[in-house]
Amino acid sequence: MASILVVDDERIIRDGCLRILGKLGYEVREAGSGEEGLNLLQDGPCDLLLLDLKMPGLSGMEVLQRVRENHPGLMVVVITGYATVESAVEAMKAGAYDFIPKPFTPDQLRLVVHRALEKRALEMEAAGLRKERERGLREIAGEKSRIKTIIHCMVDGVLVTDHEGQVVLNNPAAMRMLKMTAPGDLGLPLREALGRDGLEAWAEKIGQVCGGKSPAVSQEIPIGETTLMAHTAPVLGEDGEILGAVTVLRDIGLLKAMDRMKSDFVAMVSHELRAPLASVEQQLSVILAGILGDINERQRDMMARAKERTRGLICLINDLLDLAKIEAGVVIQYRERLSIAGVLEKAVEILKGEAEAKNLTLHLSAAPSLPPVMGDQRNMEEVFLNLLSNAIKYTGEGGWVRVEARPEGSYLCVQVEDNGIGISPEDLPHIFDKFYRVKNAQTRKIVGTGLGLPIVKRIVEAHLGMVEVESQPGSGSKFRVYLPLDPFWEERHEGKHSAPDSGNFGSPS
Amino acid sequence: MALQPRVLLVDDDPDFVEATKAILETKPYEVIVAYDGKEGLEKARKESPRVIILDVMMPPPDGYAVCSELKRDPNLCKIPILLLTAVMQAVPHTLYTIDMGLRTEADDYIDKPVEPSELVRRVEALISG
Repeated sequence: MASILVVDDERIIRDGCLRILGKLGYEVREAGSGEEGLNLLQDGPCDLLLLDLKMPGLSGMEVLQRVRENHPGLMVVVITGYATVESAVEAMKAGAYDFIPKPFTPDQLRLVVHRALEKRALEMEAAGLRKERERGLREIAGEKSRIKTIIHCMVDGVLVTDHEGQVVLNNPAAMRMLKMTAPGDLGLPLREALGRDGLEAWAEKIGQVCGGKSPAVSQEIPIGETTLMAHTAPVLGEDGEILGAVTVLRDIGLLKAMDRMKSDFVAMVSHELRAPLASVEQQLSVILAGILGDINERQRDMMARAKERTRGLICLINDLLDLAKIEAGVVIQYRERLSIAGVLEKAVEILKGEAEAKNLTLHLSAAPSLPPVMGDQRNMEEVFLNLLSNAIKYTGEGGWVRVEARPEGSYLCVQVEDNGIGISPEDLPHIFDKFYRVKNAQTRKIVGTGLGLPIVKRIVEAHLGMVEVESQPGSGSKFRVYLPLDPFWEERHEGKHSAPDSGNFGSPS
Repeated sequence: MALQPRVLLVDDDPDFVEATKAILETKPYEVIVAYDGKEGLEKARKESPRVIILDVMMPPPDGYAVCSELKRDPNLCKIPILLLTAVMQAVPHTLYTIDMGLRTEADDYIDKPVEPSELVRRVEALISG
């Protein structure tokens, strides 16, 4: 409940106020002089001061002045004995909120007090809101500095450019990686901020993302002695407009070096280990076949065992190489906007000879105007070379293989269909397993590692797509690959889908 | 007497060459040997062999390069080529950036090591084909 102080030298006024306001439940204190009133104000909180203007000693105006100085928020209502408008106006100019003329009725007092306290409550609320807003601003500032601290501590480089391609934020890691000079680069166009190590093409790419001409891109940038992986994504505003781009940089020099070492190791293993073993086994075979003259039973026996041992070693090396293959097959190195039609055309071109050798019809239906997907070109080639090459392998003389691409919702669906030997229901759930090969009389002569389809699956899934298979033994197989469409394409290039030509390739002539 | 079919064997591993030559010589072939790709190309041009057996993994030019060059030469493109390799199956185009087009340019391919009877059968097929 509000607390009220009544300062008046007339006892009867003080008693009247005490009685009327006390009944309303207010906490009311009284003072007979200005000095006493000021002292009481020091003692405890007060919401409203009822102040007589004409008192002996300190006058009401003097008290009002002190109150304004020391208790700026306090509501003051002056009581004017002579009811002159001048003194009331003067008091209100000096900061009083209202006045009440003597003598007053209980209702008049209640009304004035009520109005003053209401005003006081509103002011308190406004002050509270003001404080809250200030705290909010402080928190935002704190949050900003926290985010700044986090970004500055990151090992990965962070580079933010606005929609004009100017650098607006870069952390120390980014500056170090890109060999940028201190924060002076802020506000410079990215091209100028970099401008040195032949990074113009990359800056151009980022500029395209900032300008909304290109979706997110990831690419490797060789810089100095190392390689950076740069992922750039547009930063969208509330209405989907492009505000700029954020690029995260990672030093993958070590990874690349390890990758190179692995490749070197694989090449070394295959050549330096497998080749001599092949040679040894070849020599043993020649002796065992009696080509260089007769050998006796014991010699033959020992040679045969030696040959078995070399064979075992060769198989072991093959398995090691296969593992290296599956690991190497799923690294997405670069993602860009890709035309699947182009990838399919290339795959068909490469495998045309194999199909012709088996007198197969190879038909491709993929319009160059198909919406693009985001992918790594080499990985995508690998996927469709594997699927097509399988279709050719497992389809008999005179059969056909059809490749068809079409958009389906937010995906591009590529179907590779053949009328070959098909896959039995028992084998079907396993064909994407590592090292699984369908073994029956029809497949015995077909060469393969059992790694082609697992690699297809891993690559497609790494591209956030999926692969499906449908097959009937004896009547053929359908493999369907779903790849997510480039989400930026539809919005910005609608109307271009209707290019008329359809790319037929290798159709029967 | 009819001329013996001439077979050119190109491989940088002398032990492998010796063993393979011995196998081929169980048949009435005249076996010529080259120990690297460059020599292989020279002998292919000079000796006009009926069949070429070509190892893939050799110091440059490797078997693929030799195969590609032979198939682009209008005088030599008709000679059947049997690719011999220890890596054909095990190392695919992902690691080896083998252009599969080259693979299909060869007339046949076979893994190393090869059973003597199988090698003879394949070479025989290429000569009579």
